[in-house]
Amino acid sequence: MSLSRRNFVIATSVAAGGSMVLSACSSGGGGGNSTSNGAGTHTYTGHVTVGTAQDSQGPAPEIQGAVKGGNINGLSPSDFSHLDPQRIYFAWNSALALLYVRCLTGYKIAPDGSQKLVGDLATDTGTMSNGGKTWTFTLKDGLKWEDGSDLTVEDVRHGIERGFASFTTEGAQYLQTALTGSADFRSVYKGPYDGKHLEGVVIDSAKKTITFNLKTAQPQLNFILAMHSYGAVPVKHDTKEKYDKDPVSCGPYKLAAHAPDKSLKMARNPHWDPKTDPIRNAYPDSFSFEFGVESLPESDRLIADSGNDQYTIMAYNGVPAERIQKVLTTPALKQRTINGLLTGLYYYAINCKRITDPKVRQALNYAWPLEQIRRIYGGPSAGDYATSVLSPDILGYAHQDVFGKLKKPQGDTAKAKALLKEAGKLGQTIVYTYPQGRESAYEKTKIVIANALKEAGFNPVIKPVDSTSYYDQVQQINNQFDVMWFGWSPDWPSGYSVIQPLFDGATIANGSNNVSQLNVPWINQAIKQNALITDPAKAGDAWAALDEKIMTQEAPIIPETFQRRFYLHGSKVGGALFDPNFSAFVLYKLYVKA
Amino acid sequence: MIRFLIRRTLGAAVILLIISAITFFLFYVAPRDPARVACGKVCTPQTLNLVRHNLGIADPIPVQYWHWLEGIFVGRDYSSFGHCSAPCLGYSFQSQTPVLSLILDRFPTTIGLSIGAAVVFVIFGVGTGMIAAVKQGKALDKIASSASLIGSSLQIYIVGIIAMYYLSDQWHLVTRPNDHAGFTQDPAAWFGGLLLPWLVLAIIFTANYTRMTRSQLVETLSEDYVRTARAKGLSRRTVFFRFAWRGAMAPIVTIFGIDLGTLLGGAIITEQTFGLHGIGALSIKAVRDNDLPMLLGVILVAAAAIVVFNIIVDAIYAVIDPRVRLA
Repeated sequence: MSLSRRNFVIATSVAAGGSMVLSACSSGGGGGNSTSNGAGTHTYTGHVTVGTAQDSQGPAPEIQGAVKGGNINGLSPSDFSHLDPQRIYFAWNSALALLYVRCLTGYKIAPDGSQKLVGDLATDTGTMSNGGKTWTFTLKDGLKWEDGSDLTVEDVRHGIERGFASFTTEGAQYLQTALTGSADFRSVYKGPYDGKHLEGVVIDSAKKTITFNLKTAQPQLNFILAMHSYGAVPVKHDTKEKYDKDPVSCGPYKLAAHAPDKSLKMARNPHWDPKTDPIRNAYPDSFSFEFGVESLPESDRLIADSGNDQYTIMAYNGVPAERIQKVLTTPALKQRTINGLLTGLYYYAINCKRITDPKVRQALNYAWPLEQIRRIYGGPSAGDYATSVLSPDILGYAHQDVFGKLKKPQGDTAKAKALLKEAGKLGQTIVYTYPQGRESAYEKTKIVIANALKEAGFNPVIKPVDSTSYYDQVQQINNQFDVMWFGWSPDWPSGYSVIQPLFDGATIANGSNNVSQLNVPWINQAIKQNALITDPAKAGDAWAALDEKIMTQEAPIIPETFQRRFYLHGSKVGGALFDPNFSAFVLYKLYVKA
Repeated sequence: MIRFLIRRTLGAAVILLIISAITFFLFYVAPRDPARVACGKVCTPQTLNLVRHNLGIADPIPVQYWHWLEGIFVGRDYSSFGHCSAPCLGYSFQSQTPVLSLILDRFPTTIGLSIGAAVVFVIFGVGTGMIAAVKQGKALDKIASSASLIGSSLQIYIVGIIAMYYLSDQWHLVTRPNDHAGFTQDPAAWFGGLLLPWLVLAIIFTANYTRMTRSQLVETLSEDYVRTARAKGLSRRTVFFRFAWRGAMAPIVTIFGIDLGTLLGGAIITEQTFGLHGIGALSIKAVRDNDLPMLLGVILVAAAAIVVFNIIVDAIYAVIDPRVRLA
C-alpha cells in the first residue's frame, strides 16, 4: 500500500507538477477546505471501517449497467517493477497485483470511495486474542489457483514464509518482525526453502485455519495482512527468484504475456470463483498495458479518444499540468476523469536535533505560506491544505487545525515573529532543502518559503539536493538541514502506520523515516500504548488525539497538503473509481461500455 | 587499408575499455546507494547488506570491475539466475534479464529509427542543399536556407508532441508512433509505426545537411579546379557531380558518420517522446533505476556505435577523396 521511496519520488512529480488533480470532490472526508464544485465522475468519502464476516462473502456487488467482455488498455511510462507478491511494496505494483494476488484480507471499496477491510481469502478479518499477540484466520471454500488446484492454508503460510527469503528484500517487514520479535528477522528464520517452517505460524489443514503467534502484540495485523507482501504463493509452483517473472494467479486474471518495459497482458483466470471474492468484479475479458508512454502524449491520446484509446486508462501518471485547463474546461473531457484524495501527506520535516526549541518549530508552522505553495502547484486541484498529520482517509481521522492554517493559509508571519521573539531566536537561520531537478515547482516554492521566513524574522538559507540522492542525504542523522521537504504514504490507513514511522524515537538511524529525528519520551510511550488498543474505533480516536498533541506541543513537522490525483479514461471505459490506497483506477471494477 | 583498420580497431577497444572504467567508477562517486532500490521502505542495515550481496556489489569496486570484464570474455555465474555466457555484459537485477539480451531486444527499434531517419534526412538535406547551391541567391535558395534555419532551431520534444497531436490524434493522417511490429514480421506496420519519428527527426537533421551541403558546394564551385574543368568544356552536370559534389561531400560524410553513430547509440529524447522502446529508452531506465550493469551496457553500445562509425567514415574518406590515403 505504500508509495515507498522510489514511488514517492514519482508520486511527487505527479502532485507537484502543477494542477494534476481536479479541485475538490472530497465530500465528507472532513478535509475542511474542500469546495463543492465537484469534478470527475465520483464523489469520495474516504471513510475506513472494519467489515464483518457477512461483508467478506462474495460475490462483489454488481455495478449497474456493467457488462462482461472486452479489453481495457492501460498506459504508463514504466513497467511494474515486481510481480512476485513478496517483492511488492510500491502502490503501482499493488494496483496490478489486485488482479492476480489474494491475501487473507483486503479492502472492499464502495462506489462513494469508502473502504471496508474484509476477509479476502479468509472468511472474515480474523479473530484476535491474547491482547493482539494471537490471530487466527479460516480459509474460504472453493479457492483455486489458475491451474485448477486448490489454494490451501499451506500456500498461505508459504507466502508468509517467503517474506523471510534472501531475495524478497523489497517487501514489507511488519509481520516478520512481529513473528520473530526482531528487526533482524532473517537471522532467526531463513525462509521455507530448507524445509523448515516458521515457529510462530500454525496451520490446521483439516480446519483450514492459520494462526499467528506473535512475539509482539499487533492489534492491526488484519490490516497488515492486506499488503501484497503477504499474498499467497503455491508451494508446488514456487520458482523462487524466477517467480517474479511468472507468478501464479488466484485472482480473476492471470499473466498472459509480458515483454519487460514494453507491454503486459492479463487474461481471465477461469478457475477464479466470484462467489469466494467480496472485493473484485472482473468484467473485462482482459487487461493490456503499454509502457514507455510519457504523460503528455498519454493525455493527448486520451483526449483524442480515437480507436482503441476509447478503451484506455491512465494507469499511473495523472493528467500533466499542460493539459489540465483543457480537460477542466471541456465538459466532455471532464466527464472522463476521476479524482481522489490519497491516504498520504506532503510535509516539511523540521530537524528537531538542530531546531530544539518547540517555539521555533511552532513559529515555522505559523509562518509557512501554504496558500502560495499550493497556488504554485496549481491551486485547490493539487490537494487540500493539511492541518494535521493524519489525512481524512485514515481510520479515526478528526479534523483539527492547531496553527489556524485554514483561516490564514497565507501564513501568519506576525504571530510567528512574536513567538520567535519570545524564544529569543529572532534572526534564527533555517537551512531549507528540497529535491532539485525533478520538479520545477520546488524552484518556485522555495522563493515564497524564503520570503515568508524572512518576514517572520528568520534567516532562510536554501540548499537544494539533487533529486537522485535526496532521500539518502536527508535521511542521514548528521545532516545539516533544518527543514526538509518530505512526504509519507502509510502502508495501511491507520494512525499507527503514519505516526509510528514518523515520530517513534526508537527508529532514529541513518535511512529512518523519522526525518524530524523526534525523540520525546511521552510520544514514544503514547505510540507504544496506542499500538496495543485492540478496538479499531478507539485506536482511531487515540491516534487522532495524539496527532493533535504532538503538533501542539512539539510541532516536529509542517503539514502541507493531502494529495489529490486526477486521471483520464477513454469514453468506452465504465466503472471508473479511484483507489485511495494505491493511487490508481480500481482495475477490477472497470468495464467496457457496450 | 587493412593495417589502418587493425590499428583503429585496437584503438577503439582501448577507448571502450577506458569509457567502461570511467563509467564504473563514476557510478560509485554519486552519493546514492543502488542497493536502496531493493531494500524496501524500512531499510535495516542487515537487509541493505543482503541486497548488496544479492546485487553483487558487496565486493570492492575494482574487484567488481574485474568480474564484469571477466564476464565479457569467459561468462559469469550468478547464484540466483544461473550462468550468463560470454560475452556477458552483466545481469540487470532490476529488469531480471541479462543485459546483452535486453540490448539485443531493443536494438532493432533503434536501428530502424536511425537508418530510416538517416535515409530521409540525407536525401532531403543533401538534395535541398544542392538545389540551393545551384540556385544561389535566387528565391529557391532563400526559401531553402530560411526553412533549414527554422528546422535546425526546433526541438524533437516540441515538434514530436505537436506532430503526434495533429497528424496522428486529430487528423489521423499517420499511425501513432509505435514499435509493435518488427520489420520482418509486418513491414507495412513497421513502416507506419516509425514514419512520424523519421519525419520529425528528418525536419531537425535535414537543416544541418542543407546548410552544410550548400556552403560546401558554393565554396567548391568557386575552386580553381572546378573553373578549370568548366573552361575545358565539360558540361555543367559533369563538373557538378564529378568534381564539385565529390569534393564537397567529404565533410558531410564526417558529420553523417557521427550523427548516425549517435542515433544508433540511442536517440534518447526521440524514443522518449514517441514512446519507442530502443536503446535510448533503456538508458533512461538504467539511470532511473540506478542499474549499473544496464548503464554500462548501453553506454558501451553508444560509445561503440560512435567509435565504429568514425572508423567507417575515415575509410570512406579515402574512397571519395583521392587526396586522402590511409596507411
